[in-house]
Amino acid sequence: MTNRIYIAIAVSALSLHAQGLNHKIDFPKDSPVSVLSADFGNSNATARGANLIEVNAALSLRNSGQKRIRSMTLMVSAPDAAGKGSVSVPTLDAGPGETFSVHIGTRLVRPLAAGNPVVEVTLDGVLFDDLSFFGPDMLHSQRSMIMWELEAQRDRKYFKSLLASRGAEELGKEMRLSLARQADSSQRGVQMVRGRATNIDAEREAQFAFLDIPESPVEASSGIARIGSSLAGAPRFEVRNRSSRAVAHLEVGWIVKDQQGREFLAASMPADLKLAPNQSGQVAQDAALRFDRPVSIQSMSGFVSSVEFADGTQWIPSRGALDQPRLRPLVAPSPEEQRLSQIYNKRGLPALIAELNKF
Amino acid sequence: MTRHVIETDLALYATGDLPFWRNALVNLHVRRCDECRDLLEALRADRQELRRSINELPANVDWDQLAAEMTANIRVGLAAGECVTPREHKVAAISWRPAAIAAGLVMLMAGAWWLNIPRTDTEAIGRALRNMATGRRVPQEERGPVVGASSSGVEVLENGGRMGIEQSGLHPVMYSVSTQGSASARYVDQDTGQVTITAVYDQ
Repeated sequence: MTNRIYIAIAVSALSLHAQGLNHKIDFPKDSPVSVLSADFGNSNATARGANLIEVNAALSLRNSGQKRIRSMTLMVSAPDAAGKGSVSVPTLDAGPGETFSVHIGTRLVRPLAAGNPVVEVTLDGVLFDDLSFFGPDMLHSQRSMIMWELEAQRDRKYFKSLLASRGAEELGKEMRLSLARQADSSQRGVQMVRGRATNIDAEREAQFAFLDIPESPVEASSGIARIGSSLAGAPRFEVRNRSSRAVAHLEVGWIVKDQQGREFLAASMPADLKLAPNQSGQVAQDAALRFDRPVSIQSMSGFVSSVEFADGTQWIPSRGALDQPRLRPLVAPSPEEQRLSQIYNKRGLPALIAELNKF
Repeated sequence: MTRHVIETDLALYATGDLPFWRNALVNLHVRRCDECRDLLEALRADRQELRRSINELPANVDWDQLAAEMTANIRVGLAAGECVTPREHKVAAISWRPAAIAAGLVMLMAGAWWLNIPRTDTEAIGRALRNMATGRRVPQEERGPVVGASSSGVEVLENGGRMGIEQSGLHPVMYSVSTQGSASARYVDQDTGQVTITAVYDQ
């Protein structure tokens, strides 16, 4: 009798521990991207007070439209799970009929619910080479995807002109400098809490020192934020549209300097606001940054990193503007520059030149 | 070398009062052990001496009176011994059965905890206990929504739920958070140079 009870307990424990994982891939019927195959082989779900879901999926996709695809974003979600996730491929160049693959690695914890957990993968957006967009854009990924493409065009143009004017040797030197900058990253783990920034345990207020980029259509000034031990929050600053076009959205990079004098890009501050030409406005955000290691914030600075006009077009800083000594080590290279520098690193200069000549 | 036979067994053996199996064992031992055989002979000699002395006792002995006096003397002797002997601490004998039951219960509880309590909660309880032990101020547990980015990827936390996105154990080449409640991390395929950007949103 006792043995039967033990066996029943063991069987119950095993059945509680291992659960099946259902997945759902939902692309619109008129999607320019079709799913050739989906391998969720290494995905699983376990139940320990909550569902621990691990998704390891490899999707094989095909451009079934008529235009070249430059980037794509997939949304990953699970009912009852916290938030949403996305996986983007920003450096695609897939022509009509061509295939490409996307890997999705996700870990979810969600409350226990009846039935097997479900993970949904849906298409959030596809950007084409003419900057047209397809998709529901639930995650507002269109803006980021256009910015990646503008940065890619800017950087390819720069590297091609460098090759044409100063030769392959200079292009290789530029790539080596880029790789060195990428290896010398001084990033910090950081969390962002929204909605309770006024409750943070701040010790003092500190001013932003904004770096002016003369070509920027928006000027930022008079910034202030509350700072405490390893945290900073409630940033607010003035902006002025100094262009002749209406502005709909802007993004400001938030740079923090610690007590050792090291600077790092801590966060970006996007803001949706309508600014007519020459109009000023204020941006105030109820959000707080929290560092995962002790950081004594000595000072803060910021710079306008992108602007979207009311007509949907965007401004991004030129490479010349980013070559400011203060900005160059802080601003991350574009995804395209990282791709090209990796091609140079792995396959050499001829492969890089061949890649540039494709565009 | 086997242990010597205890004296009481030898005395019973001498009088033929041991059970059969025990009697055989003692018999086997005293054949090989000079020391026990000597003691056995002494016991047998005492017995013979006692039988002879019975015949020399007075005729009118009050046996009941004698037994009562001997019992009283023995009790006085035991009481006196209690007074001069250091008190021994009695150690409760630990039976293996309760210990096994306790160990089983502990294993059952540990298994139930492992199956039902998320690791994050276990870590939070551990932190709280450590803080209580060290007397540190315990910050209020963040229930979210919180987005985070680090060298291990991006994640969003809310009400005990969590979503993290990673790329097959790769480390991101860069990561960032935004004040609009998102965090992103960038990965580069070392072979193809293909860039993948993962992000989480607190919406």
